[in-house]
Amino acid sequence: MDEKRRRFEALAMPHLDAAYNLARWLTRGGAEADDIVQEAMLRAFRSFDGFRGEAVRPWLLAIVRNCHRSALEQKKRHAAAPLDDRDDTEIAADDPTPEASAIRHGDGRELNKALSTLPEEFREVVILRELEEMSYRDIAVVTGTPIGTVMSRLARGRALLKAELTGGSHDV
Amino acid sequence: MTCDESLKTQAYLDGELDAADALKAEAHLENCAECQALAADHADLKAAMAGAPYHRAPAALRARIGAALDAEAKTEANVVPLKAPRRSGFWLGAGSGAGGMAIAAVLAFLVFMPANNAMVADLADAHVRSLMGEHLIDVASSDHHTVKPWFAGHSDISPPTEDFKADGFTLVGGRADYVHGTRTAVVVYRHGAHVINLFAWADRDARLPGTSSRDGYRMVFWKQKDLDLAAVSDVDPAELDRFVDLVKKSQGRE
Repeated sequence: MDEKRRRFEALAMPHLDAAYNLARWLTRGGAEADDIVQEAMLRAFRSFDGFRGEAVRPWLLAIVRNCHRSALEQKKRHAAAPLDDRDDTEIAADDPTPEASAIRHGDGRELNKALSTLPEEFREVVILRELEEMSYRDIAVVTGTPIGTVMSRLARGRALLKAELTGGSHDV
Repeated sequence: MTCDESLKTQAYLDGELDAADALKAEAHLENCAECQALAADHADLKAAMAGAPYHRAPAALRARIGAALDAEAKTEANVVPLKAPRRSGFWLGAGSGAGGMAIAAVLAFLVFMPANNAMVADLADAHVRSLMGEHLIDVASSDHHTVKPWFAGHSDISPPTEDFKADGFTLVGGRADYVHGTRTAVVVYRHGAHVINLFAWADRDARLPGTSSRDGYRMVFWKQKDLDLAAVSDVDPAELDRFVDLVKKSQGRE
């Protein structure tokens, strides 16, 4: 293993789980998460020479997020099928343990369904905050938006998600 | 109806406030029914999300990525030895005597000048295109923490992205561009009414002209780490030189 590869293994690879988890949630549990993560890790490796000292995780997750975004755009451009046509079947393959299902809103499937109703810009900040437990500053890095925007999107996203999960009125 | 303080309250609930602001937020929370409802929702959602599955990367994917990285590392490693002997072997050999040096200089001129001219022309074109309005910036931000990761996801190059606002050169964003058959990362700065495009691309051992000008635009070229850089602008030449010095110094700090 050469020096760059070793450095990448030591600094970036420990965040592979975070990268995968993010990709899974961003793609609504879709199978394309694998390809997105692989593409992201390769891109990260190629630009690793220019990477100096900043926090690795937000940097890496920003790349995952961007790969997801380009995959989404490509799909929109090439495929005629609307994105929302596929969810329940793929998500069903993602069954959590029976214990987790017992928690009414903690169920991955229900959460996935509720999350998938959110517009992309709200969905991603909620995922990064609630599931990746990132700071506002890191979320700003990942999404390429100012912190103020992160805060307002987070507030709106949470309100939308809460309404969706409680199945209550949508007039948030 | 949302309370004006709701984003502050949210930041408090997320543990994003310092001690002084947290005290203020707590005091507000005691008297604001709306923010109390927000806090309750916040706790509910936290509990709901706590049961969400965390997806760890499957072993097969991990292995696949490891293999892909090994292959990539090997490809990159193979590119270097191909270049290195030519530079140290051929050029040093050719340049071992004064006559050899002269020959090398003429060869360098003949071999590299046409390419340089094309590169200079293409850079000038790219600069002008960017000023026509449709494609100056892909990511608009004065925060280099934002611009830098954007490049990581959109180009294979990580250019210097520091803001030099205090020195009169404001970072306004970045874009990915294709110049002279090469993928480049472009960092965009403003200096008064002038735009400076800072092009960066992977060093391929090509000679760079130093400075050049075309169509009234001045260009300064230099190498920095493993990147080739070119600053292009119609700004006053002395100012462009000052800008280039700032970029060079910023790289020393990184």
